[in-house]
Amino acid sequence: MIAGGILFLLGSVLRWGGLILLFRSIYCLTRMYLPAPLPEERSSWQKSFLFDGVLGALGVIFSGAFLAIRVTGWKPANLHAGTINLPLVWFVLPLVTWLILGCLVGAGVCFAQFFAEPSQVVRQNKIKNALGWIAAGIAFLAIQLFDKDAVGKGPIVLVYKGYVPIHWTVAIGFVVLAVAAIFAMAAAANAARARGWAKIAVIHAMLLTGSILFALPFLWLLVTSFKEDQDMSSAHGIIWIPKVTQTRPYFDPNDPMYEGRAEGMSIVGDVQSKNPDGTWTINVIHPSSIAGRTETLNPAKLKLVPKDVNIVSGTYKGTPIVGFDAEDLPDGSDKIIITSPPQLKNQSYIALQKDVKKVRHVGLDWKNYPDALDYLPPSTHYGLTYLENTLILVVLNVVGTILSSSIVAYAFSRMRFPGKNFLFALVLSTMMLPGAVTMLPQFLIFRSLGWIDTLKPLWVPAFFASAFNIFLLRQFFMQIPMELEDAAKIDGCTYLRTFWKVMIPQIKPALAVIGIWTFMGTWGDIMGPLIYISSPEHMPITYALALYNGDHGGEYGLLMAFTVLTILPVLLLFFFAQKYFIEGVTLSGLGGR
Amino acid sequence: MINKAAQSIKTALAVGTAVLTILGLQGCGAAKASGPKITTVTIWGVATGPDSKDFEAVKDAFEKLHPDIKLRVLSMGAGGMNNQKLMTAIVGNVSPDIVNQDRFEVSDWASRGAFLPLDPLMKRDQNKPDDPKASDYYSAPWTEANYQGHVYGIPTGADNRILYYNKSIFKKDAAKLRAAGLDPNRPPRTWSELLAYSKVLTEFHKDGTLKRAGYIPNGGNSWLYLYAFQNRAPFMSPDLRTCTLDSKYVQQALEFMKKGYDILGGYEKDQEFESGFQGNENDPFIIGKIAMKVDGDWIDDGIARYGPSLDFGVAPAPVPDDRYYHRGRFKDVKDTFITWFGGFCYAIPRNAKHVDAAWKFIRFATSLKGWEIADHAQQRWDQSKGRIYIPRQLASRVANEMQTKIFKPADPRFQASVAMHEKMAEFGRVRPPTVVSNQLWQAQVRAQDEALRGKMSIKRALQQGQAQVQRDLDAYYHEDRYPIIDLNIAAYLSAALIAIGILAFVIWFKFLKIGRLDRNEAKWAYAFISPWFFGFFVFTFGPMIASLLFSFTEWNVLTPAHFYYLNNYRNLFTSGWPDLSKSFYDAAYLGLFGVPLGLATGLAVALLLNAAVRGMRFYRTAFYLPAIVPTVASVVLWQWLLTPDPSKGLLNAAWHATLEKWMHIPMPGWFTSESWAKPSLIFMGLWGAGSGMILWLAGLKGVPNTLYEAAELDGASNTKAFWKVTMPMLSPIVFFNAIMGVIGAVQIFVQVFVLRDPNGPVGPANSLIVPVYYLFDQGFSYFKMGYASAIAWVIFAVIFGLTYLQFIVAPKWVHYEADK
Repeated sequence: MIAGGILFLLGSVLRWGGLILLFRSIYCLTRMYLPAPLPEERSSWQKSFLFDGVLGALGVIFSGAFLAIRVTGWKPANLHAGTINLPLVWFVLPLVTWLILGCLVGAGVCFAQFFAEPSQVVRQNKIKNALGWIAAGIAFLAIQLFDKDAVGKGPIVLVYKGYVPIHWTVAIGFVVLAVAAIFAMAAAANAARARGWAKIAVIHAMLLTGSILFALPFLWLLVTSFKEDQDMSSAHGIIWIPKVTQTRPYFDPNDPMYEGRAEGMSIVGDVQSKNPDGTWTINVIHPSSIAGRTETLNPAKLKLVPKDVNIVSGTYKGTPIVGFDAEDLPDGSDKIIITSPPQLKNQSYIALQKDVKKVRHVGLDWKNYPDALDYLPPSTHYGLTYLENTLILVVLNVVGTILSSSIVAYAFSRMRFPGKNFLFALVLSTMMLPGAVTMLPQFLIFRSLGWIDTLKPLWVPAFFASAFNIFLLRQFFMQIPMELEDAAKIDGCTYLRTFWKVMIPQIKPALAVIGIWTFMGTWGDIMGPLIYISSPEHMPITYALALYNGDHGGEYGLLMAFTVLTILPVLLLFFFAQKYFIEGVTLSGLGGR
Repeated sequence: MINKAAQSIKTALAVGTAVLTILGLQGCGAAKASGPKITTVTIWGVATGPDSKDFEAVKDAFEKLHPDIKLRVLSMGAGGMNNQKLMTAIVGNVSPDIVNQDRFEVSDWASRGAFLPLDPLMKRDQNKPDDPKASDYYSAPWTEANYQGHVYGIPTGADNRILYYNKSIFKKDAAKLRAAGLDPNRPPRTWSELLAYSKVLTEFHKDGTLKRAGYIPNGGNSWLYLYAFQNRAPFMSPDLRTCTLDSKYVQQALEFMKKGYDILGGYEKDQEFESGFQGNENDPFIIGKIAMKVDGDWIDDGIARYGPSLDFGVAPAPVPDDRYYHRGRFKDVKDTFITWFGGFCYAIPRNAKHVDAAWKFIRFATSLKGWEIADHAQQRWDQSKGRIYIPRQLASRVANEMQTKIFKPADPRFQASVAMHEKMAEFGRVRPPTVVSNQLWQAQVRAQDEALRGKMSIKRALQQGQAQVQRDLDAYYHEDRYPIIDLNIAAYLSAALIAIGILAFVIWFKFLKIGRLDRNEAKWAYAFISPWFFGFFVFTFGPMIASLLFSFTEWNVLTPAHFYYLNNYRNLFTSGWPDLSKSFYDAAYLGLFGVPLGLATGLAVALLLNAAVRGMRFYRTAFYLPAIVPTVASVVLWQWLLTPDPSKGLLNAAWHATLEKWMHIPMPGWFTSESWAKPSLIFMGLWGAGSGMILWLAGLKGVPNTLYEAAELDGASNTKAFWKVTMPMLSPIVFFNAIMGVIGAVQIFVQVFVLRDPNGPVGPANSLIVPVYYLFDQGFSYFKMGYASAIAWVIFAVIFGLTYLQFIVAPKWVHYEADK
C-alpha cells in the first residue's frame, strides 16, 4: 500500500510537471511567431518548445495513463465517473521540512542554470547561489534533527491524495484561460521590453494586495459591528456576511412593557409590583446602563409599548409554520404564536428551542450601535458627554497650541534679544525629556490647584507652547523673506500686529499641520484622562473606549460599534483634510532633508 | 519708554486674561452640578447587573428613609474597583464618599492614611440600634478590616471555600475508584486522598489533551493561600513586619499544587483546558468537566441557574495528611478542617465630603434589616424568574443566622452547601492584614504562576516574591529611621529662586547697553516667549527638579515625606530588579524588532508607491488610514482580530485553515500567550506603518533622478542602485525614525494599559510590563512618589543614553548632502 502511495505520488508529480512543461512549450511556440523576436532568440524559443513539449507529453502520458493507475492498481476513493480526474497530492510536512525542500529546489535550479549558462561570470554567480541554498538547507536540516521543539514538528501525513474531479465544462474553461494566459504573457513580455508594463502590473498587484490587507481590519471592524452575537463565533469559518434575525412588535399580555420617564431619562421596563399607594414599581430594562434598577412611577404617565420578538419558523403538527417567539419559558422552551399559514393564525404552542429556527435575512444589524450607547452611564447622555468633552479638549488644545507655539516661534526666529541662543537651546533640550519624569509632580501641581477630575489639566498646558512645535514653526518663519517684515515695520506696525497680520498668513499650512497633529494627539490621549479624570461626566471618548473594553470585553458587537463611533470623527477629518495630513510631513521638512 | 513697557506688559496680560477667562468659564460649568439641600453620596465599586436586585432594594429603602440623601452608584471598573483610580481620587481630593472595598486590602489603604477610621463614628452612635458591633461578626472577617486597633471598614459578604464534588461522576466511576482503594461514597479528606481521587477521575483524549479533570488545584478559588493556611504556613511574622512567604511550609503547599497539576499533565496543559470554558454557563464543574473543586459560595448560584440538576455534594477542603490524623506539627491542632475568607466591606475615604450621610448608609446596609431587605428583593426576583434563591454568606454571624432561618433553600443539596459554608465560617482564616496586603497577594499569585509554569524553582519563586514584599515592608516600618523632610519648603524655595532670578534678569536688562530700538524689540520678544518660559518653569523645569528630589524620598503624598537617601535607587536595582530589568527587556524587544520591521514595511510600501505611476493617491490613503486610528481603538480592534479561538479570531481562523492544516504549525495564542504577546504588539504596530511610509515617500521624492541615471550608465543593477544611491540619500530619515522609534519604544504605555488585566499580571506571565507602565503603576496605584520618580530617572537616563549613542554612531552611516 505504501509503495502504491509513493508510486502514485511520483505519478502525479510527473503529470503536473508534464502539464506545466506543455504549457511552457505552447508559450514558447507563441513567442516564436509573435512579432519582434530577435533572430537569436527565435532559435532558443524553438529549442525550448521542442524540449518542453516532448518532456511534458511524456510525463503526462507516462504518469497519468500508465504509472498512477495501471501499474499500481491503486484507486483513490474519490474517483468520479464522467469527469476528468486530475491526480493531486498534498503533503502535510513540518515547516522545517518544507524549508529544506525549498532549499533543495533552489539549489537544483541554480545548478541547472550553471550548466546551461555560457557566460563565465554568471556561472560563478550561479554556483555561489547554489552553495548558499545548500548551506541554508543544511542549517534547516540541523534544526530538524536537533531542535526538539522546532515549530511545526509533527507527523508527515499524506492528504488530498486522490483526484480533483473536474467537469468537462470547467476543463474547457481552464484550457481557454490557459490560452488567454499564454497570449497575455507573450504580449506582456513584448510590451514590457517596450514600456515596462509587466513591471507596472506587478507593482499594482502588490500594492492592491497590500491595500486590501491594510483595509481588512477596518472591514472586519465594520462587519463585526453589524453582526449579531450568534455570528461572532462559527466553527465553519469566519462569517463575513451579517444576517439579521427578523423581529416584529408584540404586546405581551402576560408581561406588558411600559415606557416612562425617570431620573431625567426615558426608560422602558416591565411591572415588578403594583403598590398599595397606586404607584407601580417598574423594573428597568432599557437603558441597559441602569437595567435592573427599579423605579416607582405613576401608572397614568406610563405608555404601553410593544417588545420586539423574534420571528421563527418550525413545524406544528406536521405543517410548516411561521410564527413568533412570544415567551421564553423557564425550562428553556419557547411559546410560539403562529402567524402563517392563515388557518392556524394566532394559535400558540410550546416548542423546544431546537425545534424552531429563527428567520434570518442577510442584512446589517444596526442594533449594536444604539445598544452600545445604551450601556454608557446615564450621566453621560448616551455618550454625548464623552464627545462633548473630547471636542472641548480638541478645540482648546488646538487653539492653545497654535497660538502659543506660533508666537514663541516668531520671537525665536525673527526677533533679536539678549540670551536668545541660550533660551533656544533650552527649548531644544526639553524635546528629549520623557513625559514620565514630569508626570508625578505635574499631578501634584494640578492637585494643589484643585483641578483633579476636571478637564483643565488636559488643556491648560497647551497654552504654554511645546518645544517640538516651536522648533517646527521656527523653521517656517525662517523661510519667509525679510522684506515682508521690513515693509510692515515701515508702515508702523507693532510686533504683535506684524506677527498677526503679516506672518501668520504666511505659515498657514504649517499651522494646519500642527493643528492636525494636536488634534490627533488629543483625540488619542489616554494617559492624561487616566490620571486626572474619574467621573464619567468628564471623560473624553477614547478613555471611555478603554473602559468600555474592560467592561464589555467579550461583547464584540457592542465593542466594535463603539470603536467605530470613536474613530469615525478622526476618519472624517482625515478625508476632509487629507492634504494636510499627508503633505504635513513633507511640509515639516522631516522627510528628504 | 515707560509707556512702551507698560504696553508690552498689557499685551502679556491680555493673553493671560484670555486664558483665565476660559478657565473661569470652565469653573462655572462645574459649579452648576450640585443642587440645593439634597446630599449626593457617591459610592464606588458596586457593580449592579440586571440580575442583582439586592443592592438596588437597599438603596431604594434607604433613600425612602432619608429623602435628603441620594446615592450615586458607580462601578469604576469591571470585576473589582480599579485601585489606581481610587488612590488618584483620594490623593486628588475628589474621592467618593463610600467605597466597596476588597477587605484584605483595607489595612494597606489604612496604613497609607487613605481611609477614615470608623470607630469614632461607631462610638458616637453606639446607642443606635443599627450601629455595627464587633460581637455580631465572625472574628476573622471583622479583624481583617481593622488596622492598628482601628476599624476601617464594615464587612459585608464573607465567602469561604469548601470542596464541591460531582456525585454522578463519583458514582459512574465507582468501580475505578474502588479498584484504586478509594471509597466512592465519600469525598477525599486529605491531600494524598485528593490526589489519588484526582488521578482516577482524570480522563484524557486520544491526542493527550484533557477530557475531564479530577481536581484542579486552583480550578475554583483556592490559590496558594488555602493550602498554605492548611499547612500552618504563616505568610507574615506575628508582628507583621517580616514577610515569610519563602518558608518550608509554603513550599510544601506549592509542591502539593504542582503535584496536583502534574496529574493533569502539567500546568500548561490544564490552562489550555480551562481556557476552553468561558462564561458562567460553561463553568467546567457545572458541565461535568471537573470532578472536584474548591470554591466559594457563589458557585451555588451558578449551579442553581445553569445546572439545576447537577448532583453535587460538599465537604470541607481536604487538608494535609498530618493535619487530618493530628500527627507531628499538627498534634495539638483543634480545627482539623479550615478555610479562608474573602469578601468586601464598606469604607469611607479620608477626605470624603459627606461622611455623616455615608455612615448612615453603611449602618443601614449592614444592619439586620438592611440584609433582610436585600434578601427579600433578590429572592423575589429569582423566584419570579423560576430560579432557586440561595442567600450569600455574610460576615455578620447574626445576619447569617437570620438568612438561614428565613431564606434557607428547600433543595437539600443547596441546603447542605449553605450549612457547610456556615459551619466552616467559624474556622475561617483571612489573608494577613498587613500594610503590604496587595503586594503580598500579587507576589503570591506570581510565585505560584512562575513555579507552576516551571519558569523557576519553587524556592526561587517564593524568594523573589518575598524580597519584593519585604522591600515595601522595610520602607514602611523603617520610615522613622529617615528624617522627615518638608517638601513644601522645597516648593517655596524654588518659587523664591525663580522670583530672584526674574528680578536679577530685569535688573540686568535695565543696565544692559543696547540701543533704544533693540531694547524695544527685546521687550516684545520677551513678552512673546513668556508663555513658553512660564510653561517651561511650571510644567517642565520645576517638575524635573521636584521629581529628582522625590527620588530621594519616601513619600505617598498623604503622609509626611521622609528623606530616603539613595535607597529608592538601591531597591530599584536589588529587589525591584526583576521587574525593572523585565520592563526594559520588554521595551528593548519591542524596539529592537518593532522599529526595524516598521521601518522596513514603510519603506517597502513607499518604494512600490514611488514606482507606481497611477493610483498613487488611492494607495497612499489606503496605507495611511490605519496610522490615524487612535491607539486605544486599534488595540481594541486587534485584540478581537487576534482572538486565539479560530472560530472567532479572524487571523487564527485563516491560520487554522491553512498553516496549521498543511504544515502543522500550531496557532499562536497572540495576546494570551506569554511568548506571543510582544510579537503581537509588534505585528499590530506594523498596521500603522503608514505614517513612516509618508516620511519615506517624501524622502524618495527628494532623491535626484540624475543620480539614478548616473548609476545606470555605470551599469549598476536595480539592487545595487538601491543600496548605493537610495539608501544613503534616505539615511537621515532612517536616523530620525530610528531615534524616534527607540524613544517611542521605551515609552510605550497605551497598548499595554488597554491590554492588561487590572487585577492580574501585565500581560500573560507579566510579559508586557514596560517601563512607563511600571512607573505608572507604582506612582498612581500606590503613590510611591520616591520609587516611581527613581524609575522615571532611570527611563530618562536610558533614553538620553540611547539618543546620545545614536548621535555618536550617526556620522559613520548617515549621509548628509554637503550643500544642504
